[in-house]
Amino acid sequence: MAYLIHLLILFAIYGILGLSLNLVMGYTGLLSVTHGAFFGIGAYATAILMTHAGLNFFVALIVGLVLSGVVSFIIGAILSRLSGDYFVLGTVGLNYLIVTVLINWSDLTRGPLGIAGIHKPHFFGLSFSDTPAFLVLSLIFLALTFLVARFVVNSSFGRALKAIREDQKALQVFGYNIFSYKLAIFTISGALAAIAGALFASYITFINPASFDVMQSVFILAVVVLGGLGSLRGSLLGALLLVIIPELLRFVGFPSEIAAQTRQAIYGLLLVVLMLYRPQGLIGEYKL
Amino acid sequence: MNIIPQIVANSLIAGSIYALIALGFNLVYGATRFVNMVPGALAAIGGYTVFFLFNRLGLNIYFSVIAGVVVAGFFGYLSDRLVFRKLRSHKASNLVSFVASLGIFTMLQALISILFTSQFQSVLSVTENPKTYQILGATFTWVQGLIFITSIAAFVSLALILKKTSFGKAVRAVSDDEEVSKIIGINTNRLISWIFFIGSCLIGLSGIFIGFDIGINPTMGLFIILEGATASIIGGIGNVYGGFLGAFLLGFVENFGILKIPGEWKPAIAFGLLILFLIFKPEGIMNKKK
Repeated sequence: MAYLIHLLILFAIYGILGLSLNLVMGYTGLLSVTHGAFFGIGAYATAILMTHAGLNFFVALIVGLVLSGVVSFIIGAILSRLSGDYFVLGTVGLNYLIVTVLINWSDLTRGPLGIAGIHKPHFFGLSFSDTPAFLVLSLIFLALTFLVARFVVNSSFGRALKAIREDQKALQVFGYNIFSYKLAIFTISGALAAIAGALFASYITFINPASFDVMQSVFILAVVVLGGLGSLRGSLLGALLLVIIPELLRFVGFPSEIAAQTRQAIYGLLLVVLMLYRPQGLIGEYKL
Repeated sequence: MNIIPQIVANSLIAGSIYALIALGFNLVYGATRFVNMVPGALAAIGGYTVFFLFNRLGLNIYFSVIAGVVVAGFFGYLSDRLVFRKLRSHKASNLVSFVASLGIFTMLQALISILFTSQFQSVLSVTENPKTYQILGATFTWVQGLIFITSIAAFVSLALILKKTSFGKAVRAVSDDEEVSKIIGINTNRLISWIFFIGSCLIGLSGIFIGFDIGINPTMGLFIILEGATASIIGGIGNVYGGFLGAFLLGFVENFGILKIPGEWKPAIAFGLLILFLIFKPEGIMNKKK
């Protein structure tokens, strides 16, 4: 049971990441391999504010969300000028850069050692320190993220994003400022990823830069691509499957020392197979 | 003591490794027109093949290097035969090809960690190559000298092949326009597989040299692909000559940059340069503006 709850919490965290990345990738058609970095900014902001400044989890989460939004706004302002291959390459480089910052800014981040002893949230006497309570909290955040994402994609703003994805030139002809639309969704997406970061930091109680590297971004990308681009329910499905599939290996007796690498090999293979046979993912509506 | 000659030497050595990466990267990019992450993993495969044959099995170093180059080339060829050729026939977009390459990259990197652990390994220990040379106040080891000479030799021979042979003409034709090349009777699929093989050999060699100079770990590929792509974009992506130039430029900027800022921030210099070029001069220094 405890194991099942653990998996469900991971599902909620990756669900939030998948939903937020899908806004950029699936709805706007911008392939981004830098979501791990925004995830990390949220996690680090929460961890630092809670351990150093003794702030409440929820305050730290909001600060992390704003901070990640600001960083993604700045980054988006640079990257939105690029398109296609160059945009992708820019996002990969950026993730690499942010991990470099996390490793080297040791006064703040404690470098490669990471930050340990991050507390569980509590709220006016209500404590989320046992895992079932934490699961409820995670699912609430997942539901909130889902609602925000659904509101965004169903709004007129969201329809403009889809139009950018389908035919950017046509939209420019109609006088839409493509640049600010891309920037806005990039910022929203980065800020939402920070929620998952805050939950992750507080749940695992320990974070280090390696958790937020490019491979993490590839994993989040796999969640979105597997579930389906341009489908919010798809991102939830993708998160669920990618959390569960590697766990199945445990039952067929794979040694646990290589669990992380085996997981990596599986989603790598999955990406290749999907691109060959089903690039729109399981229930997606858009092909890259 | 004047440190400038030493920094120039370091820049040239770094530049020659980047040049090998950029040559391989550009060759493949020119023919396929999408950013391919696989070469990063192939560099690691080259390095680990040498590590396995030379350090673990104790085989001859020259044999190990040649084997490492060929194994990397073979994996590159395989990636084309099994995945990218199919994607070409589906007329897949370059983003789809990119994601597939990211998948292969991730998979290969994970397999290397499973086989060899994620520990950092050194391929040549210092005691085996104590010999150093001095030219104009700069000190370098014989391995570093070898890296520099090999990279120049690889560039010259590649340039000659592209210019003089019918194979080279076909490569240039495919890089210009794949469809037209097909119409005039070039077997483009076979040719592109060969380009993958040759490009991957060069990348594998760069991985081996990095192993000699610094050491290897399974995640080295990401750094390699970013440096290679940066060098290529500076020089003009898809342009073999430009990439060579861009590589040395990158080597110089990085090594002179760490005069002012700490060495751990080296990736930041490369990335800063990449972004500057992507925004202000995306066609690079050797390509014509589109």
